[in-house]
Formats: sequence, C-alpha cells, structure tokens
Amino acid sequence: MATTRSRLRGLTPWIVPLLAIAGWEAASRSGWLSTRILPEPLAVAQAFWSLLQSGELERDVAISTGRALAGLAIGGGLGLVLGLLTGTFRTAETLLDTTLQMVRNVPPLALIPLVILWFGIDESAKLFLVAIGVFFPIYLNTYHGIKSVDAGLVEMARSYGLKGWALYREVILPGALPSILVGLRFSLGLMWVLLIVAETISAQSGIGYMTMNAREFLQTDVVLVGVLLYALLGKLADLVARGLERRFLRWNPAYRPALA
Amino acid sequence: MQRDWISPPTSGLGVSLAALGKRFGDRDVLHDIALDVAPGEFVAIVGRSGCGKSTLLRLLAGLETPTAGAVRLGGAAQAEHRDEVRIMFQEARLLPWRTVLQNVQLGLDKSDGGARARDALAQVGLADRAGDWPAVLSGGQRQRVALARALVHRPRLLLLDEPLGALDALTRIEMQRLIETVWRELRFTAVLVTHDVAEAVALADRVLLVEDGRVTLDEPVALARPRAHGSPAFAELEGRVLARVLKETPPAAEETPRPRLVA
Repeated sequence: MATTRSRLRGLTPWIVPLLAIAGWEAASRSGWLSTRILPEPLAVAQAFWSLLQSGELERDVAISTGRALAGLAIGGGLGLVLGLLTGTFRTAETLLDTTLQMVRNVPPLALIPLVILWFGIDESAKLFLVAIGVFFPIYLNTYHGIKSVDAGLVEMARSYGLKGWALYREVILPGALPSILVGLRFSLGLMWVLLIVAETISAQSGIGYMTMNAREFLQTDVVLVGVLLYALLGKLADLVARGLERRFLRWNPAYRPALA
Repeated sequence: MQRDWISPPTSGLGVSLAALGKRFGDRDVLHDIALDVAPGEFVAIVGRSGCGKSTLLRLLAGLETPTAGAVRLGGAAQAEHRDEVRIMFQEARLLPWRTVLQNVQLGLDKSDGGARARDALAQVGLADRAGDWPAVLSGGQRQRVALARALVHRPRLLLLDEPLGALDALTRIEMQRLIETVWRELRFTAVLVTHDVAEAVALADRVLLVEDGRVTLDEPVALARPRAHGSPAFAELEGRVLARVLKETPPAAEETPRPRLVA
C-alpha cells in the first residue's frame, strides 16, 4: 500500500538516532561509560522531567527564547532595512555597502571582550551579540535578493504603469523574497549559537545559566538536558523557516511539498 | 466561431516617425527612420538579428528614448498615449509569484479588474487556468496569458517583440491565428517584430525590412485574409522578401540559364 510505504519512509530518518540512543543506554548500563562523562539516557530523561515539574525548565527556556527572538528582531530588522536600502538606492549602496562588507569579516565572537567592556555582563551584552550575528546573513541576502530581481519583469511592470510602492510590492519584494528567506534561515542557526556562547559566559537565568550551574555541581544529566534543548530549539527554528518558505514561495516548484 | 469579446472595437493609434535615430554610446543602431503607420494597420518588421528592429519597437514602446527625432502617436506626443500602448515580449514575463488571473490583472483597478481579466483569459482560451501558477503552464500558454494581460488594457497600439520566437511550429501557427482574430475584432494598430518572413507575410498589411539601422523595404501585402500559407501568391511574396533579406539575387534572375563556357 502506498500509505504504509510513505509511513515507513517517514520513519527512516529516525532509525539512526534511535540506534545511537539504544547503544548509549547499553554502554552506560554495562559500566563501560562513566556517569561522570555521560549519564545514561534514562537519567537525562528523569532530569528533564524533574526540571519540567519544578518549573525551572519552562522559565529558562522562555527567557532564552525571548533573548534569541529579541536579538533576531533587532539585528534581523536592521539587516532587512539596510539591505532593502542598499539594494534599492544606488546612493545608499555606495555610501554603506563597502563599510558593511568590511565589518562583516569581523567574527562576532571576537567582539566578546569589547562587548563585556561596553555592556558589562548585562542583558544588553547578550542581545548585542545575537543581533550583530544575525544582522549580516539577513543584510547580505536581502541586498543580493533585490539586486538579482529579474530586470525583464521590472521593465514589463513599468511598461504596465506600475511604479513606486506598487512596483515594489508586486515585483521587487516578491522577487527578493527567496533570497531573504535563505538569509533568515542562516540567521536562525547563528542566533542559537551566539546565544549559547553569551549565556555560557555569564547569565543569571536561561538555558546557558542552567547548564553552567549544573556543571558546578557535576550534574552531567542536567548539562545534557541543556544541550538537547538547544538542539531541539535549533531544529524548531529551522522548521519555522521552512514553513515560511513553503508558505511564501509556494509559487516556486522547488519549494512545493513533494507529492509522494 | 462567435465569441464574446472583452471590449467593443477601439480605434487604432496611428504611428508617425520622422528622422528617428538611436545611438548606444558610439554605436549607431538606428538612423533616419521615417515611417507612418495608419490607425488599425498591421505592420511587420523583419530583419537579421542585430539590425535594430527590436530597438525600433522599444522606441515605440517608450522603453528607450530616441537620440534623434521623436515618436508621435495619434498625432500627439508619445507620453500622452502611454496607457494605450502595450508590448508583448519575446519571453512571456509573467510574475511567477502571482496566479494566471492575478498576472492578467496587473495594473488594473481593483473594482472591475477581476471580471475583465477573466474575460480576457476566456478570449485567449485559458479561462480554466485562472488559478494556476505560471510555472505549470507551457510556453504557448504563457504567451497566451501575456496576450490576455496586454488585451485587458484595451490597447490602441499593440507592439509584439518576437513573441512567438520560442514556440514550436504548431503552437506558433495557433498563436498567429489567435493574434489575427483578436486584431481583426478589436481594430488596434499592431507592430510585429519577427525574424520569420512567413509569419510577417501571414499577418501583416505591410512588411518592412530594417537593414543597417534604416528601413530598406516597404512591401504591401495585398493577400486576402485569412491567408493560406500554401497559396502560390503567398509563397511568391515570401520568397521575394526572404531573398531581399538574405540579399540574394531574386529567383527570377536565376531562371535564365548562365552561358556555359565551352572549352
């Protein structure tokens, strides 16, 4: 049957992770793997459960997600606006693009000493790091997206009387959207990486705080819960990005969900 | 076949060019073009690639500005009739992120745009594809949508820049028939740029040849419509224009046998 086959195909990607967890559990039980290095999966699950019940988990995840999204909104929003500006207006391009391309080559993590000097170990330091990291993928892809809009379509639209905002809304923005969404996807990945680093350096709350705190008390199970949470949140962000692509790029055969 | 046309016949827009010229940098693409097209006339412009025929059409469309002379439409300046001129490009240039219907509605008022766009789609035989994305259409269907998008504005001058150049032979003939039917029904002025002499002879009242940036042939086509590709008069005219384009000696001259050299 086609349905059972497609269901089986849906399960295939999960075979390897499930086997890995089974092997890990077996290695821990046989004593081959010390709890100090890696606790057994069951212990991680238990730690997860108790953190969930105490409400700690919910609070920390909410705080970390809030920081990530705020950083994304600031950095991504600025990147989008500046990308649209430099992509659309020649003056803005000559004025800003060279500078931005130079700054782009500075790895955000290299700024950590400066960021600590400027902002201390405050909330704003974390927001700054995330914002500066997500800025460039969105800026570059927006700029590139606007630049690569089909000139033939723009000419056609102009000859049909479209100009100004109507031309932008009908032709230029939709034409740049695939590229902008690629930038967003890159940014969502970077967003978590930078937040992890920022929270690990110093934090009074959030997932990073939870794991660093657990390290002090040798609670490897809690540390692992934190690591897995980051993985889950990263995957979730990717799913959201893909959902956006399917929604906004459904006209493009490359983004249409495959018909099995 | 009787169909409901989208609009009552509109009068065509006359075209008048005097001493029109266009340079790109130091390259002289067109010079001293003088041309009058009567309202409602169908003119075809043929020529080898790179002869400037597409540039001439783009000047008529207002997509390029002339470096000498001016384009006058309906006896007035070009800018006054901008909304009455529509162009069909070699590629359909449909917006891939808009449905077929939304593409036809481009630049129309929201109020009655939908109904008019549907009528125009029905006119080109694609009423049932209104909700599709352009990506799923064939090349011929895309050009039909592009034609509907042009017609919905009730143009008085329709410019066709080799719109059938990329289509297969059968689809081409179908599209030629469609364009002719629509032109006869709506009475707009039509200027078609093509490299296909047969297409020019099949559709046009006059065939112009552009060579080295000037009009070097202005041949009226007096055949009755609809024109049969196979008729002797058609073939004779097509052969004559083609020979002129290729700068061959006319076939008539070749019929006289050359004197043989006898050693």
